[in-house]
Amino acid sequence: MSNFPLAFILILGAILLPILPRPVRSSACLIFSVVAFIFLINLELGASLTAPFLNYELVLCRVDRLSLTFGYVFVIMGFLGSVYGFHVKDTLQQVVALLYVGSSLGVVFAGDLLTLLVFWEIMAVSSLFLIWARKTPEARRAGFRYLLVHAFGGSVLMAGILWHLGETGSLLFNHFEGGIASYLILFSFALNAAVPPLNGWLPDSYPEGTVAGSVFLSAFTTKVAVYALARGFAGLELLMWAGAIMAVYGVVFAFLANDGRRLLSYHIISQVGYMVCGVGIGTAIAVNGAIAHAFAHILYKGLLFMGMGTVLYATGRNKMTELGGLVRSMWLPLIFFMVGAFSISGVPLFSGFVSKSMVVYAAELSHLGAVVLLLNLASIGTFLSIGLKLPYFTWFSTDRSLKPKPVPLGMYIGMGLTSVICIAIGVYPALLYNLLPYPVHYQPYTASHLIETMQLLIFTGLAFWLVIRKLHVEENITLDTDWFYRRPSRLAYNVFSVWVSRFFEAVENLSLRLARFTVKLGANPPGYLVETARSAGYVFFHTKRPVPEPLTFSPDRYRISLGVMVLVVLLCLIVLLAWDIFV
Amino acid sequence: MKRVWVLIFISVLIIFVLLDLLLVSGHVHLEFPWSHIAGFFSLFGFIGCLAIMAVAKLLGHYWLQRKEDYYNKRGDDE
Repeated sequence: MSNFPLAFILILGAILLPILPRPVRSSACLIFSVVAFIFLINLELGASLTAPFLNYELVLCRVDRLSLTFGYVFVIMGFLGSVYGFHVKDTLQQVVALLYVGSSLGVVFAGDLLTLLVFWEIMAVSSLFLIWARKTPEARRAGFRYLLVHAFGGSVLMAGILWHLGETGSLLFNHFEGGIASYLILFSFALNAAVPPLNGWLPDSYPEGTVAGSVFLSAFTTKVAVYALARGFAGLELLMWAGAIMAVYGVVFAFLANDGRRLLSYHIISQVGYMVCGVGIGTAIAVNGAIAHAFAHILYKGLLFMGMGTVLYATGRNKMTELGGLVRSMWLPLIFFMVGAFSISGVPLFSGFVSKSMVVYAAELSHLGAVVLLLNLASIGTFLSIGLKLPYFTWFSTDRSLKPKPVPLGMYIGMGLTSVICIAIGVYPALLYNLLPYPVHYQPYTASHLIETMQLLIFTGLAFWLVIRKLHVEENITLDTDWFYRRPSRLAYNVFSVWVSRFFEAVENLSLRLARFTVKLGANPPGYLVETARSAGYVFFHTKRPVPEPLTFSPDRYRISLGVMVLVVLLCLIVLLAWDIFV
Repeated sequence: MKRVWVLIFISVLIIFVLLDLLLVSGHVHLEFPWSHIAGFFSLFGFIGCLAIMAVAKLLGHYWLQRKEDYYNKRGDDE
């Protein structure tokens, strides 16, 4: 079994899960992850599994170092997420979480574009249910928007794939060589990676997911897109600049966020920026760095979402304006959260330090000064928002004397395990470096790098400390590119729904009036004529006000008197005679 | 108390500048305009942090921030 597609194990698990007795379902989720891990370590490099489909050969499983790296981190994160969500009794959430992890694995091991597309769509739909499972009106609305965006992205991907098939006759997923087809595919990958301006869906939907659901959401969709970009578009200069700008973009927007998990979502954008940038630089060390960063990021971002999720679970609140003073009652989640925060900020001995620095170092090697400065700036902003601001306003600041409810043991164990891995990678980077696609000749712990990083962090801290008294979080939302489809939605609703129904209403009214008129006219035509003539006389010549005519026709009422008939006959005779004489 | 902190930061800065001079500046392999400025990243960290806060607040205040009911006035559905 050296080439069995991992996706099928978890998808099979998702199908089996509802049949199993309820009390064992949480444990079953863990067991499926472990089974997937056993299959994963037995995968052989270079193995593949093909299946015929129509005239094409589908590559359901392709094992190389790039897909294996992502495979490892996805299976590990799936396991950790299930540990964290062990208390969840909602079968729907468990099933879609398994499907989501399974389909993500399906994408990274897919060797052809059609298999990729199928798993891509399963991913979009299963992740949607992790948002809807929250069951709040906001989650429902955000879920619909998420669905629309990803359905659009999926359609663009499909169009690109079909075009590509038409052009090259091949479905294999390898490096793209340009052309309209590959730009369509690039667009849909960039949409899933949340590259601005295609980023609106991410901070819109991730904060609305369930406590455990958002832990899964934070890990997979964007990183699957990073994988796809690394495979298909490594070395594209556009991506390098997009990534560097994206890193700063996320940081700036994160600083304005009030919802803790929205702040973290913007930092997904920022961190994915490093990866996209690394992919765009395209050298071996840059791609290595991007993938190492994806690996580390999945774990520490999961940990951060677990930390904020724990606060949300215990207090029911997630906004910094409603939180504060939790340090006494929730000191343990704070410790775990800070491990994640130090990792994402790139503090030495934590995982971010050994992965992020690789991307920056790759930019230095390629002599891209502007990119180096942008990435360092993003690093500052990351430490500012996640290392300092978010924990300060959540656990310290104003004491709102909140009474958090007890947190399940599984959540602590999940956070604890993830923290251990984050620190292990930071302390012993070879753990991570040995998994990377290209051989690594990079040493993160050099004097110059340590001094540089400590300077950045300490003086960011100083700047924060100087303004801390003036800093307050506002109870606002920040407009992002989702404005373009959220705000005009009211206009679109008016144009396509309200106005259309008004038009139909008007037409209906008009036809009803026409029908009523025809009925009235048909029931008593002379009466109608008489009444109209009298009304005209009343209006124009001030004759006496007409009395309404009866509704039905009676021949006697409108019979023309004999005298008039005789007069008419006589007049006709006169006309005929006159005709005869003069013409 | 505040004076103590300021002193600590100043001494940390001096230590880093010295470390930069001793260990980094003379040994750079990659040349950038800032490679020979001792303590450059201290300054960059400090100013960068203030700049991010200022830019974010200005953007938010004058352009991007709205009341929380901006998208859903009257709490209406869809």
